[in-house]
Amino acid sequence: MTHVFLDEYSDLESPIHQLDPRAKLVGCIALIVICVTTPSNLYAAFAAYLGLEIILVLLSRLPWKHVLKRMLIVLPFILVVAVFLPFFNKGGGSYNLGPVTVSAHGLLVLWNVAAKSTVSVLAVILLSSTTPFPELLKGMEKLKVPHLLTTIMSFMYRYIFVLMDEMQRMRRARDSRGWSGKWLWQAKVIGHMIAALFLRSYERGERVYAAMLARGYDGGARTIYLYDFGVMELGFTALVILFPLAARLIVGG
Amino acid sequence: MHHRPAVEIRTLYYAYPDGTPALRGVGLTIEEGESVGIVGPNGAGKSTLLLHLNGILMGQGEVRIFDLPVEKKNLREIRRRVGLVFQDPDDQLFSPTVFDDVAFGPINMGLSQAEVAVAVSQALEEVGIAGMEKRSAYHLSYGQKKRAAIATVLSMNPDLLVLDEPSSNLDPRARNEFSALLQEMRITKILVTHDLPFVFENCDRVVIMSRGKIAADGDSFSILSDEALLSEHGLELPYGFYPVPRETAQDSQDREREN
Repeated sequence: MTHVFLDEYSDLESPIHQLDPRAKLVGCIALIVICVTTPSNLYAAFAAYLGLEIILVLLSRLPWKHVLKRMLIVLPFILVVAVFLPFFNKGGGSYNLGPVTVSAHGLLVLWNVAAKSTVSVLAVILLSSTTPFPELLKGMEKLKVPHLLTTIMSFMYRYIFVLMDEMQRMRRARDSRGWSGKWLWQAKVIGHMIAALFLRSYERGERVYAAMLARGYDGGARTIYLYDFGVMELGFTALVILFPLAARLIVGG
Repeated sequence: MHHRPAVEIRTLYYAYPDGTPALRGVGLTIEEGESVGIVGPNGAGKSTLLLHLNGILMGQGEVRIFDLPVEKKNLREIRRRVGLVFQDPDDQLFSPTVFDDVAFGPINMGLSQAEVAVAVSQALEEVGIAGMEKRSAYHLSYGQKKRAAIATVLSMNPDLLVLDEPSSNLDPRARNEFSALLQEMRITKILVTHDLPFVFENCDRVVIMSRGKIAADGDSFSILSDEALLSEHGLELPYGFYPVPRETAQDSQDREREN
């Protein structure tokens, strides 16, 4: 079975792909922090953030189709806020949209969520689509993220599809024996499957640990890191932090 | 001449934490350069014995690897010298990329970055999957995964290669290629399996394990052609497979001389 990897397109070649993952990680976090702390009425600042991201997408030669498809993930959040829109009526003038009335304040809340989630998600898409996940983890380790955490994430990346395949096989075995899923008493079966999956993962964990020990693992964190934080990285980090910061201060000033 | 066997096991006993005895007095000596198949029914203790070879399990009795007793202070050296490859390559390959997996052992051994890179590319070259460094193990075929699994221990430059069920789940072509690959490798090998033809192809000596003990030990032909012995220990040659005495280099020389 084939699955779409988290870091699809991260093996392209572009100036952005080549950067030290640390630069991209720091830049991404900085951009998100600057964005979410920007007051929602500084419209031009958000335009600047988005503009910067669009330039980065162009530089990284990512296919727009891929980027836009990944962007769809923000829609549910915006929709949830939109559904509750009529209930925000703290004044600031109101508009009649057919049967419902929305307040200017409510619209601002919606804009706030939409703009910030769009900019933030795009930043994460840029990071994950230009950096292979293993490299990102090594970058995190270099940035002193605890080894335990990066190890867990690395196992997740390695085994999530193995587990999904295992689940898929169990589901087929279940359905082959006439499981319809229509009746409440059949719900128990799902519980059993989850338990089986847990046990299998637990046993796999033991075997993987034995395989690690067999190759001299002693709990130490040693990795090979092939990147250097050079001029390009410095420039990139400065751009991604200073440009949005400046935009925000000028617009807000 | 100083005699130094690769593996020396004396009266080894081991019981699992729940009390189930797994090994009941195993004694086994394997010389350097030998290629030995350990066969036996499920639950005979084969895999448990394997885990004693590099100290992942430690039972009562004596285990020596290249004259080093398996005990805590020697584990580092022993784990470098014994390359243990587990049955399921998805257990053996736990890193996000093939490179990281093959580099795992050398890094733990404390090699420098440049040395690790050399060890990795040599190991991948040796098993015939050079250039797959950046792939995720998930994206390899099963045969490639098996090869990568071997590369993960070859990169540590071991003196003894121990393989658990090396031929399982391989299709005939992958199995043949894998067998050829094993025969090319000139180090001491221990294969644990119930694939008797695979053992016959790859090993000069066969050891039958049964209920935690060594039940028989001899050259491949005499063990594998003894149907009564095999069936006594729950083993059976596949239908239509009859071992023929292997022709050694000496035999063919003799015959040439006769002609």
